Amino acid sequence: MKTHKLFENDTHTWFMFGRDPHKPDKIIDTNQYMVVTNENALLMDPGGIELFSSMLTTIIKSVPIEKITHVFASHQDPDIISSLGLWDQVLENSTLHSPWLWEGFIRHFGMQSITYSPIPDEGERLTLDGVHLDFIPAHYLHSSGNFNVFDPTSGILMSGDIGAALESDEAPLEVDDFEAHIPKMKLFHQRWMPSNEAKLDWVRRVRELDVQMMCPQHGRIFKGENVAKFLDWFENLEVGVLNKK
Amino acid sequence: MENTFVVTAVIVSNIYATMRICRRLTLTASNAKALAMQAGDSAAGFRPLTDYINRYASITTSSSAQINEMACELSRIATEKDKTDRVLNHLSKVYKNAYDSPHLSSMDVARNKIRLRQQALHDAYTQLLQSLNSELDDMSGELRSANIVVTMSRIEALQATSIHQNALNNVADNVENVTESIKELISDAQRLVIELKKQSQ
Repeated sequence: MKTHKLFENDTHTWFMFGRDPHKPDKIIDTNQYMVVTNENALLMDPGGIELFSSMLTTIIKSVPIEKITHVFASHQDPDIISSLGLWDQVLENSTLHSPWLWEGFIRHFGMQSITYSPIPDEGERLTLDGVHLDFIPAHYLHSSGNFNVFDPTSGILMSGDIGAALESDEAPLEVDDFEAHIPKMKLFHQRWMPSNEAKLDWVRRVRELDVQMMCPQHGRIFKGENVAKFLDWFENLEVGVLNKK
Repeated sequence: MENTFVVTAVIVSNIYATMRICRRLTLTASNAKALAMQAGDSAAGFRPLTDYINRYASITTSSSAQINEMACELSRIATEKDKTDRVLNHLSKVYKNAYDSPHLSSMDVARNKIRLRQQALHDAYTQLLQSLNSELDDMSGELRSANIVVTMSRIEALQATSIHQNALNNVADNVENVTESIKELISDAQRLVIELKKQSQ
């Protein structure tokens, strides 16, 4: 699995993990993220069971395991958090931040050691060693209880399934040609996202943030003007529809 | 042999079936008592046997309930142990693939903790398997003694009037059939427990 440093300053560093060449066939390629502060680390959407050893191998090349004191699961899907039962056995004193709606469901993945911190519908702020990270509501995009993570300092928005694209695990890290990227995203957003109302509300709120980089859980990262292009495209896309390509 | 936790689940299923069959035995014991009363003096020798059938039903019911609890716990431990085995397999890959990582030693605490847990689960599993084996042996002993009751019931039935003979023979048949069904299930469970014991050594 490859590691990319997305941002670094004197208080914290953002990592992206993904494009795993050893990933088993027929499972969707995923991007995992981690923010490392002085004493702590937040691991975001750590992935499925199949990725666990590859993820752990990659992570401990960057930080010691005891530094991972916080885990975030944007929603309840298996590609997001089915590895929880394994992380639960290797992490000490760690807290999982995830939508309150999914607590009873996510615990089915196995959780005895990690503490569940339910995120309320309106979202909340996590502060690690003085670094603020905001859990931004993204309900119904696609899951009915769903959050993004926004870092006001770096301007990075970890957008979960919003901005996701279905493409090979050899795809470039960043969107270079937005128009050419649309076919890779369109079906995903139309089929997986059920609510136009939720979509418009999310676009309105995200436009108020200073987003420099939008990082989805599948596909490529949007930087600079491509963030605005995505918001415009998404705003005008009819979602919750079948068989429209 | 299949996965340990699958085999333990099969044992649980066998014992649960035994519990259900034992209910039939309890019903047979009640019927036998009522029949012996109706048959009066002609079945005087059958009456003490009904107490024995009643006691036999009660023992097999409580034994199978206890064995069922043990088998459920064994299944739970086997599943937990499988989870620790799996995470240790993942960690072996991590140690192999991250050999050059400056933070690899940070995994040692977690790996040692999981190894200890794996050992504790293994010990609990082995101990429970031994206890389960003993309980199944005890129950088999009880089942063997049922054959004597069946034979004696048939002899006593011969003494009863022809009106009651068939009914009393039916009681003996029921005890015999139920016992045979339980024997089969217990014998299967014993075979699986022996296989598990071999596997855990």
